[in-house]
Amino acid sequence: MAEFEPKIVGFFCYWCSYAGADLAGVSRMQYPPNLIAVRTMCTGSIWPPYILKAFQKGADGVLVAGCHIGDCHYLKGNYLTAKRMAVIKQLLEFFGIAGERLRLEWISAGEGEKFSRVVTEFTEEIRKLGPSPLKEWNSEARA
Amino acid sequence: MKEEVRRLLSEKEVAGFLGLRRDERGAVVPHLFTLENIDEVESLVVEEDQRYSPGKILLKIVAAHPGEKIGVMARGCDERALIELHKRNQLNLDDIVILGVACTRALAEKCRCPLPFPSKIAHGEKVEGVTGREELEAIEKLVEDERFRSWMESFSKCLKCQGCRSVCPLCYCPECGLAEESIIRHGEVPPEFPVFHLARALCLAGRCIDCGACEEACPADIPLRKLSKRMQEIMKELFDYVPGMSPDDNNPLSFTGDAEALKRLGGVIAAMKEEG
Repeated sequence: MAEFEPKIVGFFCYWCSYAGADLAGVSRMQYPPNLIAVRTMCTGSIWPPYILKAFQKGADGVLVAGCHIGDCHYLKGNYLTAKRMAVIKQLLEFFGIAGERLRLEWISAGEGEKFSRVVTEFTEEIRKLGPSPLKEWNSEARA
Repeated sequence: MKEEVRRLLSEKEVAGFLGLRRDERGAVVPHLFTLENIDEVESLVVEEDQRYSPGKILLKIVAAHPGEKIGVMARGCDERALIELHKRNQLNLDDIVILGVACTRALAEKCRCPLPFPSKIAHGEKVEGVTGREELEAIEKLVEDERFRSWMESFSKCLKCQGCRSVCPLCYCPECGLAEESIIRHGEVPPEFPVFHLARALCLAGRCIDCGACEEACPADIPLRKLSKRMQEIMKELFDYVPGMSPDDNNPLSFTGDAEALKRLGGVIAAMKEEG
């Protein structure tokens, strides 16, 4: 069997974390290529089922990153994100997907270094956890 | 109870009363009693352990007769559903007269109901409820992979009949997220799982009053009640919020919230710990 390469879906807010990703890019910082980035206007605008859908479609981990608390462009959008992520994490646990597969981080537009560190860390963490059980279930079902 | 319904109707305190009635063929069905047909009150059924969700029927009646006072027979779960609907501006509790019915111990056990009585009781005796925690523990003690498999096997039986959605007293949205093709592909049975079932559980977080109507309606015996019970626990643990208890509080997931609420999340979300 080929070595496991994690697939990670990232939802990043337009004002902070996506800009942070850009900064990491223009600064030529290295991070693993396992990440698929989705830009959203605010992390608070991520409809929670889309996070479930990412797992459904075979993501091994989902990273949500937005502005630090207090820095939200829409004032308190990230407050809502924090609450929602806590609920989703616990629901995933109860269902049988490790809560660590969903990670929330606050990354500002100036934190290119933090962005590359978080993505590297998270990718390694997921690599240790192995493939998402859903991915395995779906490939068994197809076989 | 029959006396009280007759009094409400004849003194015009309510324009109609929604309750259960034994019809000509002997079936127990929801019925709107009115002053014109006040003799029908004789066939009102209240003693038996018959349960129904008046919420959705009431929404239709209220929409057709705005501003009219309507009486309704409600068990504990029904009352909590009405409170939730009120909070969500679907109906106005000031226009509703609730005659509360306390459930028997047998019904409470059958429903695994922790609170089998409404705030004011017009009929029946208050009995202790049951928590139903054992069934959650049975799931929680499984290792992650077994838990996952047991859920997936249950979900794979889904017929996408939408019975859970149709019967749910809190599913009132004119457009449902589960019909959104970007989440659930159309025309497939079973629907994409677990996203179908987990998205529904998430949508009802802080809204579901744990009446168990969804599980009763499910033809595939999916243990939906375990999901809703756990969702309720999560909301209680994280935000100290229980839906349907008071018309004055708000679902923490329905507003952005204050910093105080976020402090409690540190244990679950590492990023919140750093923020202090």
